Amino acid sequence: MKKNRLSSIFNMVILIAFGAISLFPIYMVVINSFKSQDQIFNSVLQLPTTLHFTNYTEAFSQINIAQALWNSLTVTGIGIAGIVLFGSMAGYKLARTPGKLSQIIFLFFMSSMLIPFHSIMITLTRMANMIGIQGSTVGLGLIYIGLGVSMSIFLTTGFVKTIPKELEEAAKIDGANEMQTFIKVILPLLSPILVTIGILNLLWIWNDFLLPLLMLTNVNDYTIILSVNTLFGEYNNDWPKILASLVITTIPLITAYVFLQKYILDGIAEGAVKG
Amino acid sequence: MDTELATVKTKSNTFRFNKAKKKKCLSFLMFLTPAFLFYALFMLIPLIGAVYYSFTNWNAASQVTRFVGLSNYIEAFTNDPYFKESMLLTIKYTSIVVIVQNVLALLIALLIEYRNRTRNLFRTVFFMPNMVSLIISAFMWSFIFTIVLPQLSEYGLSLLDQGWLGNPDVAFYSIIIVAIWRGTGYMMIIYIAALQGVPVHLKEAAIIDGASSFQNFIHVTIPMIMHAITICVFLTLNEAFKVFDVVYGLTGGGPGRSTQVVALNIFEEAFSGNFRYGYANAKSMILFVIILIITIVQVYVMRGKEVES
Repeated sequence: MKKNRLSSIFNMVILIAFGAISLFPIYMVVINSFKSQDQIFNSVLQLPTTLHFTNYTEAFSQINIAQALWNSLTVTGIGIAGIVLFGSMAGYKLARTPGKLSQIIFLFFMSSMLIPFHSIMITLTRMANMIGIQGSTVGLGLIYIGLGVSMSIFLTTGFVKTIPKELEEAAKIDGANEMQTFIKVILPLLSPILVTIGILNLLWIWNDFLLPLLMLTNVNDYTIILSVNTLFGEYNNDWPKILASLVITTIPLITAYVFLQKYILDGIAEGAVKG
Repeated sequence: MDTELATVKTKSNTFRFNKAKKKKCLSFLMFLTPAFLFYALFMLIPLIGAVYYSFTNWNAASQVTRFVGLSNYIEAFTNDPYFKESMLLTIKYTSIVVIVQNVLALLIALLIEYRNRTRNLFRTVFFMPNMVSLIISAFMWSFIFTIVLPQLSEYGLSLLDQGWLGNPDVAFYSIIIVAIWRGTGYMMIIYIAALQGVPVHLKEAAIIDGASSFQNFIHVTIPMIMHAITICVFLTLNEAFKVFDVVYGLTGGGPGRSTQVVALNIFEEAFSGNFRYGYANAKSMILFVIILIITIVQVYVMRGKEVES
């Protein structure tokens, strides 16, 4: 038993060491975001003696954070809503319509999942330009629907097959039309997988960088990630302000993570196993 | 039964049957059209366009776009040393990241499996970096590499005094460090879920048969979680080949072109250097085909090693 005890301590020590490495950069950024440039150059490890909130107020004034947050919310909201709704509609119908045609359409959607974004980015930019949505946050949200809907179809199709048909048939007998049945009966039953899809897409769209970089041209339309990218270039070694803006950007998702972590972690395991 | 009924119905009332079929067709369209529309506009047409334009000289400078056959592809393979270098660098990067990230993720997952009370805490901590956007991670680490580590080296840790981002030989590994810091937690979650699915009676049986814990791991655990290994290697392989954000944020491909990965090479060709869209498309097609072949081989080979529980 003594050996067991020892290996348990050893196990704990390694985990704590790895955990410390995991959190160290975030911790460093947070504590130094409250210091002045001098304090940072003096000692990065020391906790701030006086809290320099000016870093934050200046970062706030430099980029219109409220606007940037709203832009990020618009893009992510539209993207997730479309991906979840349209993906589950298509996935449900494909799962409930047996036959060759459904199989072909399913494979047709799936075949895109291996295409690297870089292969379509140039022509996608041109397409957005042609239909007049380049530079619009709403348009960017719509593009995410096209890019993300396949994965959503994939996950719902698998899930629908585990739901018994009786419920839909009962609703049909009660006189509900197909759309009503789908919204009132099917969607609630699909909610576990819809939450998974929503979370996976939230992490992707909120944090995405390259597509917004190509699509959004006006600073007022920038997502929060893009705004910080601009700031990072402009401030050029003015670390207190850069760090403050990094913290501001990261807070929304970390907060979401603290409250939703069970769903997020389960969702990722779920999404991967199905994939 | 159903089909018999249907045929009886058809015979008695063809009109009604057609109407039902039409209705079914309509509802099929109604449910699939929205998804298809967005997919076609923003995925399918751009893809077809990309294939087409990869055979043209489409660029920002000239008004006329001409069909140039295979010349873009020939140029990429024979007359573009930067592209070739970036491809080799990406392959080297991918090999290291895929191996280190998966070994580390599996190791941490195994260690966490042994904890009872602290399991959730550790899971939460190790996944935390994943909440930080890739480009923001790169900015955070720029601070660590340029300010924090050089300062820590003064406490006698001279190993930390490196040109983390300025030295071409070191910068490549700095990028790998950030990628692994950011990505390992995600894979760990998948491995933990898989480890929980390994039946306890199998491990117990192996122990009764006198297997050591290492033997147990190799002969029981690994085969039972092979499906998760397949998925995680697939995901990391895909991600690593397309690496862009971390490099863009950390080194911008520099110093010089020493850390220019292939995605960055394509990006520069199209949007910041030459604006040769057609040529950049051809290079992106080459990247696509390489990823496709490698992942298909990987999944095919590893699927063969999976066992049913």
